Amino acid sequence: MVVRRSNGDVVESFGSSREVTAPEHEITMTMNGPHQPTNPWAPLTPEQQEARKVVNVNAETVTNTAATDIPGHYGPEQDDSWNLERFRDNFRIDFHHNKPHDAAFSLVGCDASISNAFRRILLAEVPTLAIEDVFMFNNTSIIQDEVLSHRIGLIPLTGGEKGLRWLRWFRKKPPTDDFASQAAYDADGEPSTPSDYNTVVLELKVDCRWATEAEDGRDGKKLAKEGETDPNVRYVNSNVYARDFRFLPQGQQGTYFSGDDAIRPVNPDILIAKLRPGQKIHLQCHCIKGVGMDHAKFSPVATASYRLLPQITITSPILGADAKKFARCFPKGVIGLEPSDESDPDSEPKAVVKDPMKDTVSRECLRHDEFKGKVKLGRIRDHFIFSVESTGQLRSDELFLDSVRLLKAKTERFKRHLAEFEEGR
Amino acid sequence: MIIPIRCFSCGKVIADLYEKYVDLISNPQDEEGNPMADGDAMDKLGLNRYCCRRMMLTHVDLIEKLLRYNPAERDIIKVGGPGRA
Repeated sequence: MVVRRSNGDVVESFGSSREVTAPEHEITMTMNGPHQPTNPWAPLTPEQQEARKVVNVNAETVTNTAATDIPGHYGPEQDDSWNLERFRDNFRIDFHHNKPHDAAFSLVGCDASISNAFRRILLAEVPTLAIEDVFMFNNTSIIQDEVLSHRIGLIPLTGGEKGLRWLRWFRKKPPTDDFASQAAYDADGEPSTPSDYNTVVLELKVDCRWATEAEDGRDGKKLAKEGETDPNVRYVNSNVYARDFRFLPQGQQGTYFSGDDAIRPVNPDILIAKLRPGQKIHLQCHCIKGVGMDHAKFSPVATASYRLLPQITITSPILGADAKKFARCFPKGVIGLEPSDESDPDSEPKAVVKDPMKDTVSRECLRHDEFKGKVKLGRIRDHFIFSVESTGQLRSDELFLDSVRLLKAKTERFKRHLAEFEEGR
Repeated sequence: MIIPIRCFSCGKVIADLYEKYVDLISNPQDEEGNPMADGDAMDKLGLNRYCCRRMMLTHVDLIEKLLRYNPAERDIIKVGGPGRA
């Protein structure tokens, strides 16, 4: 790494190449004249501050990938210490869309480690309710017990939010071959017993049969003889759906989960199994609260991801046919065409950056010689475009707040442990 | 065998979309009586990522074949005639 001051002096070098230069600043420095000594440790100019926020995306390489807002990185006079006031002024969250199942928002002005912590907490540490134990009473379907159990375990459940928050943890017995967690499990507290505040009971009872004149108004056997092949016409209950689950409230659960708040599958149309006449499924499930790191079924999100805001800088005007070709190098809506002369609407079109948010940073424009030296691609290091897609138990925006709460709780726990460590306990 | 409940990669629930998908690509959808193209059908169902799209696109619904072997239904198969199980 080479840290070069704007006057061209190399201040420090550490191996790989990195340059911090701002052309405007260079001019002011030369105006100072050769007699005035320039300070190699001068704090960064606003231009340099902006430039260090950008990850450069070049044709073959990506440079300036690491953040440099670390105290002492540019010498003693550049103040990069963390400051609550400054963070509060710079930090911003803008929502792009916010639907219960899909939210997208920008997190501006925070470090990648923090954004990534939110993402990882969303995926693996926000507790949700899912089916854990399945008690199979009868299963004569062609889907085996274990496969069926796995399938119904993956069904996302929902219910009254207040009730879901009221539900407590169920301390599950760890696997017998995991001695570390076995020891931790034995060391603290009583094991949980299923009870109304930690276990939700669901029942599935489906019985497939031929459609009969008396019950369904059509004779399935007769229709079959006549050549009817549609199973929905010939049989009754030939498809088992998630909506067939029945919630059995236990104890106090009736007050929290009644009416619209009842525990139910988020997607009622999930196809669980297919049956033929004479086959039946009868089972009961115990649902408990868990976290995604234990099993993916407890993960509250389908995906939680972020990308950095793309930056497209057109350094010299791209005009005419080139401008149209340039616009085609990007997804629709990223590059717009405007008349190059503002007073004359019929003048040659000029390419302007309309909406860099939509860009995928495909670097297509860097493959063409006509744009060489005219465009610079980059990404803004501290602008995270988050996308959170909830499975439906909790709202996507609420999930993000949960991840913030969880990170806060974790840091507080860490600080407490540090204090205990210092006290020598 | 039967459509998986969730996408293997991202965890989006897809088992509720399979029947709608099959309907869109096999039954007439426009005024000329053409079914929808696979890609358009997946777009309509909100399958935007390629991980979820491959779940639909590459699924072979073998359970339909296995359902034909139902011992409890043997007498009916005879009634139903050959090939109509």
